[in-house]
Amino acid sequence: MSVNANDWRAKAANQTRLAFGQALLELGAREPRTVVLSADTQDLLGIRPYIERFPEHFIELGIAEQNAIGVASGLATTGLRPYVCAYAPFITARSMEQVRNDVAYAKQRVVIGAAASGISLGVAGGTHHALEDIALMRSLPNMTVIVPADADEAYRATLATQHIDGPVYMRLGGRVEEPPHTGADTPFQLGRALQLRTGNDIAIVACGAMVDLAVKASDQLKTEGIHARVLNMHTIKPFDRDAVLKAATETGGIVTAEEHHLVGGLGGAVADLLSIELPTRMRMIGMPDAFACVGHTVRVREKYGMSVEAIVSACRGLLENK
Amino acid sequence: MADNKGDLIRRLENEARQIRRNIWRALRAGGSGHAGGSNSAADILAALYFHRMRIRPSEPDWPERDRFVLSKGHANAALGAVLAQAGFIDETILDKFYAFESPFGMHPDIKMNGVEMCTGALGHGLSIAMGMALGARIQKKDFHTFVMVGDGELHEGSNWEAAMAASHYRLANLTVIVDFNKIAQSGPLSELINVEPLAEKWRAFGFEVKEIDGHDMGEIVEMLDALPLNAVRPTAIIAHTIKGKGVSFAENTYVWHSNNVTDEIYAKALAELSP
Repeated sequence: MSVNANDWRAKAANQTRLAFGQALLELGAREPRTVVLSADTQDLLGIRPYIERFPEHFIELGIAEQNAIGVASGLATTGLRPYVCAYAPFITARSMEQVRNDVAYAKQRVVIGAAASGISLGVAGGTHHALEDIALMRSLPNMTVIVPADADEAYRATLATQHIDGPVYMRLGGRVEEPPHTGADTPFQLGRALQLRTGNDIAIVACGAMVDLAVKASDQLKTEGIHARVLNMHTIKPFDRDAVLKAATETGGIVTAEEHHLVGGLGGAVADLLSIELPTRMRMIGMPDAFACVGHTVRVREKYGMSVEAIVSACRGLLENK
Repeated sequence: MADNKGDLIRRLENEARQIRRNIWRALRAGGSGHAGGSNSAADILAALYFHRMRIRPSEPDWPERDRFVLSKGHANAALGAVLAQAGFIDETILDKFYAFESPFGMHPDIKMNGVEMCTGALGHGLSIAMGMALGARIQKKDFHTFVMVGDGELHEGSNWEAAMAASHYRLANLTVIVDFNKIAQSGPLSELINVEPLAEKWRAFGFEVKEIDGHDMGEIVEMLDALPLNAVRPTAIIAHTIKGKGVSFAENTYVWHSNNVTDEIYAKALAELSP
């Protein structure tokens, strides 16, 4: 009963949020305890095919994120495996207490599919941007935090949640294409960074939508004779310390890139580690301490320094002072 | 159950008295605690655990068990008392209230046998209980889920998200019991934020509503035996109770929402709770 691979790829349309919805269809067929919850997000995460196929294992909860998390926790106590489909900004900041107490503290197997993260809803404005969700979620004990870089990775990571004994926060994009960097043959190993470019001059550690920019930056640097390693840090928690320490040892300089505030996200996690274990010169690409302006995602990213050029420039800057 | 009605009521009243004695025992061990909201809940807890609920204390995770979620988790001394009396945990746990690394702290912890969820941050329990009731339906199990909420707790808006959804899903296997003792931490609810008209609120949200005297064991048993009150609606029981019930100096005052409990106070309380 497994989903035809080509079929799901076409429907996911290079978007992690839709790949998540497609993976639920596969999970529903594999695992009869699967149950999917929506907070009026049926199209946002592309779950209508799941609902059609597993109507008895679907619960619409409306625009009520706090209740959605509590209900998911209650369902999990009865042995079911709930997947909550929601908007990243609302399911984290608004329902933080439910996520902390009912899910993380009580250690329930609830998976949160958080779409429209970062500034993917650029034109919606600051109320709808989620730029602190990684910091919030990674601060919770028991929580696994995954930030897939593309649709294939999102699909495989979602399937992998079947084997995670605890809550999971899956950070997904919005209605913005996320170009592919992994494929059907790329294994998803929870907590193990995926190296996408080799290089010992400098390392770029990126997650989510910034992985694409990091790869492009590395390719551009290569034309200048600079070999920049690229690590796709798809799992923020548990954190792949070894990959970061190895990159720091072998390159001597780390640039982090994330579509998230510079406080407490991927860059923060790398800095936390390196400042104690192996002080290394760093640059951090991400959202500065400000609320982002309204605008199309790519332009807003560029304004705040989340661009290929900014990553290239940060790498050059680090190398010049080496 | 071989009891005739009178014997049953007397047996449950004795359990309730013992719950109150054990609440004070725990509070003395901890040095302080929520006497008010624990004692207002004692009679209902006795009827749930010693009459209505299908449970196996020696098998706390029995999948078919009825569920009880204490959403007003600050009444955990009462939950610990009833779980100890029912045999989920050894009664010596009562002397470990607030103790270092104890599973029996101020608020319920899922790590303790018989506790269904970590609660006490208010406005969570109804959603969780609703999830349990949905879990029963999806898995075609016939267990019933009870959740006790505080009246002041109903200030939290998340309750009404859950109420709206529970009636939408026609969860007749879900019963919410409001421990309506009318006093919160800072004073009477009527002076803080009024929750009345409470029955009308629950009705408007699609619940079958019944008001009872939460200290009249006959009424409590009659209500529990009649569940579900409606085949397609969740039930809301509004239990009119007295904060601190059972000990004169603790009754009906916000001062005993939470207070220090010395050996002397404990002795005075126990003296009023003798059979």
